Amino acid sequence: MNTMIVRAALLSLAACAPLLAAAPAAGPAPAPAPAVTPVPPPLPAERLTVTAMPPDNPHRIYVLDEAFVNEIDARVDLFDGDTYVRLGQIDAGFNPGFNFSPDGKTTVVSTTYFSRGSRGTRTDVVEFTDNSTLKPTHEIVLPPKRAMTMPTYFNVAYSADGHFVYVSYITPAASFGVLDPAKNTVLDEIDTAGCVLVIPSGLNRVSSICESGSLLTVTLDAQGHEASRAFSDAFFDPDKDPIFAQGVPMTNGYAFLSFLGQVYEVDFSGAQPAIRKPWSLVGAAEKGRWRPGGQQIGALQRHLGRLYVSMHQGGEGTHKDGGSEIWVFDMTTHRRVARWPLAPQKIAPLLAIQVSQDDSPLLFGATDHLFSATGYSDLAVFDALTGQLRHVEKKLGQTAWLILNH
Amino acid sequence: MRSIDQLFEKSARALARGTSRRSLLAALGQVLTGAALIPLLPVDRSARAAEPASPPAKPQAKSAKPATDDPKRCDYWKYCAIDGFLCSCCGGSSNSCPPGTTPSPITWIGTCHNPSDARDYIVSYNDCCGKVSCGNCECNRNEREKPMYRPSRNNDLNWCMANADSNYHCSVSVILGVSEK
Repeated sequence: MNTMIVRAALLSLAACAPLLAAAPAAGPAPAPAPAVTPVPPPLPAERLTVTAMPPDNPHRIYVLDEAFVNEIDARVDLFDGDTYVRLGQIDAGFNPGFNFSPDGKTTVVSTTYFSRGSRGTRTDVVEFTDNSTLKPTHEIVLPPKRAMTMPTYFNVAYSADGHFVYVSYITPAASFGVLDPAKNTVLDEIDTAGCVLVIPSGLNRVSSICESGSLLTVTLDAQGHEASRAFSDAFFDPDKDPIFAQGVPMTNGYAFLSFLGQVYEVDFSGAQPAIRKPWSLVGAAEKGRWRPGGQQIGALQRHLGRLYVSMHQGGEGTHKDGGSEIWVFDMTTHRRVARWPLAPQKIAPLLAIQVSQDDSPLLFGATDHLFSATGYSDLAVFDALTGQLRHVEKKLGQTAWLILNH
Repeated sequence: MRSIDQLFEKSARALARGTSRRSLLAALGQVLTGAALIPLLPVDRSARAAEPASPPAKPQAKSAKPATDDPKRCDYWKYCAIDGFLCSCCGGSSNSCPPGTTPSPITWIGTCHNPSDARDYIVSYNDCCGKVSCGNCECNRNEREKPMYRPSRNNDLNWCMANADSNYHCSVSVILGVSEK
């Protein structure tokens, strides 16, 4: 033990020797002490809070991320197009649809849960969320018939006065549910003779798209039961040039785009839908070469009368390919007024587009994750008047297939 | 530069097209076929080819040539209208569901062209169900695919919808027989 102590002392001295040798020999005045940096006061204690939702604004969007790679975990992401900030999230379960109440204060999600997460008893449900808090407020359990498919405006929708909510059912027999969101009840199920989806109009009408190329319109009574039904004439050819099931909202109805680029404007303001004379997005030289594609292929700025369409070059079977360009059309003259290529801006093809309805409109586009450098859906934000790219939000979601706003 | 972009995009699209979700299609169509009924369908099975041996999955590089004999690739000929995850990459094969999953009893029927023997084959596109989406080998091809108002030709619908466990896991393409012209 003593030996060890002596060795340690010697080692300490040896270690200090170089320092001693380097020390100045006596002398001059010591160097001035370095200035002391004042130590900032400690951070105050924090209080854990929950961020309040900011006031609504017309540049807020709701983006449905289907989360296809782990499909029981879909969600709606809220994003602000001015500050480029994610505002929050609404959970959306498996293969959901979603929409808004007429006043925009409520988000309704139609979805499915399994009792053991990925398996077990299936529960189909519509869930209502207060958009000012993002808290669920109530729900209505459905029969296990909900259409499990791509999200559109027409998977779940409100009547114009908010008294009814309609939910598309496919088992694969087609029908729809009529719900009372105030009393939390399912009022009825309406068979639709093979026609699918719920296109709401007025206080009590629901139209569905039929395999024959026509529309079925069911009119309900005040209790939500069927009062009458009527089929339109076939207005498109589902074999040669089908329309996309997704529509583009107009002031009094929806525009439906066909695979080859025909535009069918349908006015739903009357007792029966009125189909206007179709027009084409493409010229003779472009037909069959350029076409709309993706999931949410178009958006209309209603005040400007500008239709934005996600277009790509491709043939048959490319109708789900995202757009490599945005084409802009005047809805009055049907002329193309702009063409905005995306590749020069390093934007991957767009699967879903949406435009705001204010005086300084923004155009939003969600990229196809299979082509995004990030492997996720990125969100591009453009000036809708000029096409100027303002922002790219990387990895907004896994598979963003529907963008809604109000 | 722009032409390079277009070339890149074109090749990338072609690649992805060879890769999708619940599918398909054509010549026969219109039929919602129960899996139990498939063996009863009056189709010529004589030309049914054995499943090609599956080499390990390769990353789907944008410069890769089409590998029409590789059932782990989206551009495999039988997948001409699949939109989903390839069961071949999820523990199954192009015509078998992964262990522990359940085939969908309903589906849709289509036709794909096999370039190796220049025949058109009628195929049944079934989903495999009961587990969360596999997440591997996502494939989105849509030859002759139609929107959901034509369900017998639509690959957007979750064809597990009528299963006891209706969660979607992956998709297969099962040869039913040669499409006689």
